[in-house]
Amino acid sequence: MAERNLKVTGGNNTIVHPHYACAIGGAYSAVAIKGGVPIANCGPGCMYKQYFFMGFENGFQGSTGAGGGNVPSANVGESDIVFGGMKKLDDLIKATLAIYDADLFVVATGCTGELVGDDVGSVVKKYREAGYPVVYADTGGFKGSNLIGHEIVVKAIIDQFVGDYDGKRQKGLVNLWFETPYFNTNWRGDYIEIVRILRAIGFKVNVLFGPQSEGVSEWRDIPKAQFNLIISPWAGIEIVRHLEKKYNQPYLHIPVIPIGEEATSAFIRELVKYAEIDEEESEKFIKEEAELYYYFLDSFSHFFAEYWYGLPSRFAVVGDSAYTLAYTKFLADQVGLIPVKQIITDNPPEQFREEIREEFRKLSEGVSVEIEFMEDGYLAEKALAETDFGSGVPLILGSTWESDVAREKNALLLEIDPPSSETVVLNRSHIGYRGALQLLERIYTATVGSK
Amino acid sequence: MSNKELRQVAIYGKGGIGKSTTTQNLTAGLVELGKSVMVVGCDPKADSTRLLLGGLAQKTVLDTLREEGEDIELDNILKEGFGGTKCVESGGPEPGVGCAGRGIITSIGLLERLGAYTEDLDYVFYDVLGDVVCGGFAMPIREGKAKEIYIVASGEMMALYAANNISKGIARYASKGGVRLGGIICNSRNVDREHELLRAFAEELGTQLIYFVPRDNVVQRAEIRKKTVIDFQSESHQADEYRRLAAAIENNKKFVIPKPMTQERLEEILVEYGLFDNFKDDYRI
Repeated sequence: MAERNLKVTGGNNTIVHPHYACAIGGAYSAVAIKGGVPIANCGPGCMYKQYFFMGFENGFQGSTGAGGGNVPSANVGESDIVFGGMKKLDDLIKATLAIYDADLFVVATGCTGELVGDDVGSVVKKYREAGYPVVYADTGGFKGSNLIGHEIVVKAIIDQFVGDYDGKRQKGLVNLWFETPYFNTNWRGDYIEIVRILRAIGFKVNVLFGPQSEGVSEWRDIPKAQFNLIISPWAGIEIVRHLEKKYNQPYLHIPVIPIGEEATSAFIRELVKYAEIDEEESEKFIKEEAELYYYFLDSFSHFFAEYWYGLPSRFAVVGDSAYTLAYTKFLADQVGLIPVKQIITDNPPEQFREEIREEFRKLSEGVSVEIEFMEDGYLAEKALAETDFGSGVPLILGSTWESDVAREKNALLLEIDPPSSETVVLNRSHIGYRGALQLLERIYTATVGSK
Repeated sequence: MSNKELRQVAIYGKGGIGKSTTTQNLTAGLVELGKSVMVVGCDPKADSTRLLLGGLAQKTVLDTLREEGEDIELDNILKEGFGGTKCVESGGPEPGVGCAGRGIITSIGLLERLGAYTEDLDYVFYDVLGDVVCGGFAMPIREGKAKEIYIVASGEMMALYAANNISKGIARYASKGGVRLGGIICNSRNVDREHELLRAFAEELGTQLIYFVPRDNVVQRAEIRKKTVIDFQSESHQADEYRRLAAAIENNKKFVIPKPMTQERLEEILVEYGLFDNFKDDYRI
């Protein structure tokens, strides 16, 4: 009965196994900024749920002091709904400013305040006019997922904190818009790898999020950058389009996160050409990295050719657009595995779906796959159960939601996306030159019998 | 009679149509019949009990909650008015702030918790503001509270539009619960052929015109003196009209799920009964 209903309504019913958090999860993007403190204007428990999904049971990433389960929250209750929650929010901001010594405060309003129409802007404006770096973001859950929330928070910071700019641009300075902090399980390690590459080929980078960022001074410098680099199939495009409109600042959109030597070197060359910077430095770097990469790949080929027992040949990926696309491309194009079921779980807006489909249609010469968009892990699980992985060991890259079906199919499961509750992730990366080797290690360590 | 059944009645209708006036005058009529009545005003303006209490003497539930917190007694929010009627005003937040609909839900929840619904009551009237603008204002007819609804209307076009819309809301809740439409009360505006129009309109909805209250300035004079007509001029003709309305409701047996009509059909009825036919001259070329 339930399934019949799903068909009738196009599958937009209740989600049993969520693969993303709420828009207010975008508050954790403020945590990812050095010196950033979120202020949660939502019901009790909302923020904790975001943390558990994105930060805890997602590689147990932990968080900095102002994040985790320690986010100041208005804990909106019944009387705040009936009479409006502005007074309580005002008290909370005052208390937060007294306790936290931070460079940027981001008030994120959830469903309740948004529904009753609290005028959060007028509360925040008062503090901004008094010189405090406070911005507000309308992140009601009905606006969409945490990926949409991330975009809303970033745009709020740009509009209310960075402000207007009509000065000069600095050639070689680039704003990096990349994985979504906390949500993308490996975001910290992946940022480190991509920043390493960008700096090595001659760019100065506004990293904006994570350990290598210089914090709010970089945010202030956003309008000075030569261009915006967005490495993502769709999440974050709203940000660079906004910057284009606001500062007339161009952007380069690279939908596939590069993994492995071929993809990463091609990525570097595209970037250098676009930015019109000196090729000498980048070519030297590519040569060094390629030598290292193939040194290890050569060794790997001995294992790959000789090991006969239980190597996977067909694989499936269940995850957000960015990781699913990147991992599928690498495994299909570079390792020669056959993609049989690729499921996108982050509900991309309709306008991006065809482009994403197209990317999967040109994975490698003669290799393409038709993807499916499923927000509910329950449906993804069913789809995997019906997938034919041939006679080899099935390989599934997904989340903890897929562990049951993986067990049933005797598959190798690698947790790559939230929720990931059987992996601890600190500085882990599967992208670029070095991350690619880590990804191979991880897959084939699982293959030879250990997690 | 300890097993008498409490009749919970919600009064809806277009804003300004006279819901509060009609409800209170009707209540006075029921009191004369020996009935025990509670009136719950569900309008942030909090003027649903003014005529029974002799002024806006009442502190609203939400004001009380706001100022005194959760720990309040029934006496704080329930006052006795004309003939022993129990009067409550839900009230609302300050204009432009918060959610008045949620306020109604909170108030009714609080009344239940404080034991306002006593066994001696014969009637509870919910006087709900204007249209059913959101789920909060549908609260009295949700969850099996008011099962009986009357819509106050007049022969004016917008009043009938509103009544038809409210019927859509009733039909929705009727499909899953016991809520039924008891009839249309016409609060006359002296529009041409008003009586026939209202009767035809009610019939099309599948209900009845339960009473036609004629227009009489004594109602306004009584209002200025903060009284119901029965209280102000007990012997007047209009006082008898309200007594007859009270009797009609007391004896009503016809409760239906309304069949709201399409915009086109509603306009057809209006044309048929002459609303658009009053041109003295023909300007056709």
